Amino acid sequence: MAERGKFKCLRCGHEYEDKYTPGVPQERACPKCGSNSVRRIEEKK
Amino acid sequence: MMDVGRHPRIKLLAYSEIEHVSGFIGNFNVKVRKKARYVDENDCTACGDCVVDCPVIVPDEYQQGLSSRKAIYIQLPQAVPSAYLIDMDHCLGNNPIACGKCQEACEKKCINFDMEDEILELEVGTIIVATGNEVYDPTELDEFGYRSFENVITSMEFERLICAGGPTEGHFVRPTDHQRPIRIGFIQCVGSRSDNRGNPYCSNICCMNTIKDTLLLNDHYPDTESKVFYIDIRAFGKGFEDMFKRSKEAGVKYIRGIPGDVWEDPVTKNIFLAVEDTTSGKVEVHELDLVVLSVGLEPRKDMKHLQQLLTLSSTADGFLLESHPKLKPVDAPTRGIFYAGCVEAPKDVKESVTQASAAAARASIILNAGKVQIEAITAQINTDECNYCGLCAKVCPYHAITAADRKLGIYPEVIQAACAGCGTCGAECPTDAITMRHFTDFQIMAQVDSILDKDNMDKVVAFACNWCSYAGGDLCGTSRLQYPTNVRLIRTMCSGRVDEKFVIHAFKKGAPLVLVSGCHFADCHYINAVTWTQKRVEKLWNKLERLGIRPERLQLEWISAAEGQKFARVMRELEEMRKKVTPEEVAETIKILEREEAKALEKKAGKAKKAEEALQTA
Repeated sequence: MAERGKFKCLRCGHEYEDKYTPGVPQERACPKCGSNSVRRIEEKK
Repeated sequence: MMDVGRHPRIKLLAYSEIEHVSGFIGNFNVKVRKKARYVDENDCTACGDCVVDCPVIVPDEYQQGLSSRKAIYIQLPQAVPSAYLIDMDHCLGNNPIACGKCQEACEKKCINFDMEDEILELEVGTIIVATGNEVYDPTELDEFGYRSFENVITSMEFERLICAGGPTEGHFVRPTDHQRPIRIGFIQCVGSRSDNRGNPYCSNICCMNTIKDTLLLNDHYPDTESKVFYIDIRAFGKGFEDMFKRSKEAGVKYIRGIPGDVWEDPVTKNIFLAVEDTTSGKVEVHELDLVVLSVGLEPRKDMKHLQQLLTLSSTADGFLLESHPKLKPVDAPTRGIFYAGCVEAPKDVKESVTQASAAAARASIILNAGKVQIEAITAQINTDECNYCGLCAKVCPYHAITAADRKLGIYPEVIQAACAGCGTCGAECPTDAITMRHFTDFQIMAQVDSILDKDNMDKVVAFACNWCSYAGGDLCGTSRLQYPTNVRLIRTMCSGRVDEKFVIHAFKKGAPLVLVSGCHFADCHYINAVTWTQKRVEKLWNKLERLGIRPERLQLEWISAAEGQKFARVMRELEEMRKKVTPEEVAETIKILEREEAKALEKKAGKAKKAEEALQTA
């Protein structure tokens, strides 16, 4: 099941929220700079 | 199909399903469930006596539900083998026999209600996947009135209505009053080229199918007035533009615009379409006797199951991914498996036949040779180092590593013919028991050492996969795009090969910035190896943060072979990031990592000492 999580771009530092499915790797791109160095920084509360 | 059925060297298993596939190129073992037909296909003469007496009537799927069939039936007149089968979901029952009229009517006595499914095991050298596609169901697009208005039909239903073998025997009539429609509208791109509902891709065949339908109508009924509502007509291919011209010359009106509203006259049941003709900018209303929705193609619903059975991967559209879009368009990523037809992408008959011929030729090359030549880049397991954890078998995208069993002392084994050399197993192995030939840990670490030996603060260490990122770099170079020269590329076959220790080693050697780059998920040349890259990099980010090293210093990027510009942009961005890394930060990183290494060595020595003591006590 998809959940919402907080993501941070390790290139430009932009933080945003997006859907993700735990345990399922997904190709991500920063909506601001397009970098793929996007890291989930917060567990869903 | 008749030729296939009669061919002495082709074994046709109709009404069968694949249950399990194991093995590798040249040595596949396939388990097939041959479903019970309840009619002996060898004895059945397809006389049809059984059908006359069958009391069960259900919608005929082949005729798109426009007519009915019995519970005992032949799916289509040209079906091979030409023998009846009983649809047990609708038959009045075989246990106990509640009806049995078909059995009584069959003179040849070939109906057997006790027939059971049969499991066949086949040894095959190659597999050709030609499972076809499905057609988009436009019910969800309520703006076109499909299922609300009877005189709105799909292109598949149109095919049945105009076909001599169809429910009306080729007499083209509309569903409400069974009168021949004169004014017919075709709406294009239904379920295709839409990001909201339906599918985002072009289904390839619909434009030409509609053009063919308009010509067919014109040929059968010259007084027909056809109108085609379209976004743009894609008539590429040999003779297609000519066919489009012929259709226009025959009087078919092409209106550039997709109807926004569709309604029905409650009395005449005629259909009205409101459409903006984008060439004139005017909103027009068209009254039509019949509307045909030109529906797109979709992957089969059971595609995921098929992928798992054969260890295949799919594109974002859901169709199967080929080994290489230009050089191996009919090969699956798993060796010995080939594609034919719409299982790979929507295509017309000509393209499907071409691909099928190519697939057959590719398969016969392997079968005739009797042996295969494999790349030298494969994994090798050093059993002295293996701890039976089984991780290698778990991560292998090709299932090329046999399972380990600690209790039985069975080590995992690499099936060399199935190994594609991505190196994911080597990167994941916790005891470094796997050697990737030609991309060994030693060789890659030596490259890292060499890069950072001098002027380490000026370098960016970039691991690039052979097929996409490295090729993207090549394209960047051949396109004469400029990018900073500080980046040093280390080529691996797949980004899945990039071991955690390569990255740590680079930081320990004073790298200010490290990049791991690979194919986009949909382009991964090793099925799903790229997903392991992502998992590993995410793990590394956490580890770096825990150790007090900025995770930003490890960058991840998916660059395809066509993205030379992206490659240049990423390299420029990395260079900007590199400039911000100070020598103090790098020195601190080295200290942290050396401390960690010392701790790990201490721990390892402690463990070894304990093991030795335990051995002595024993």
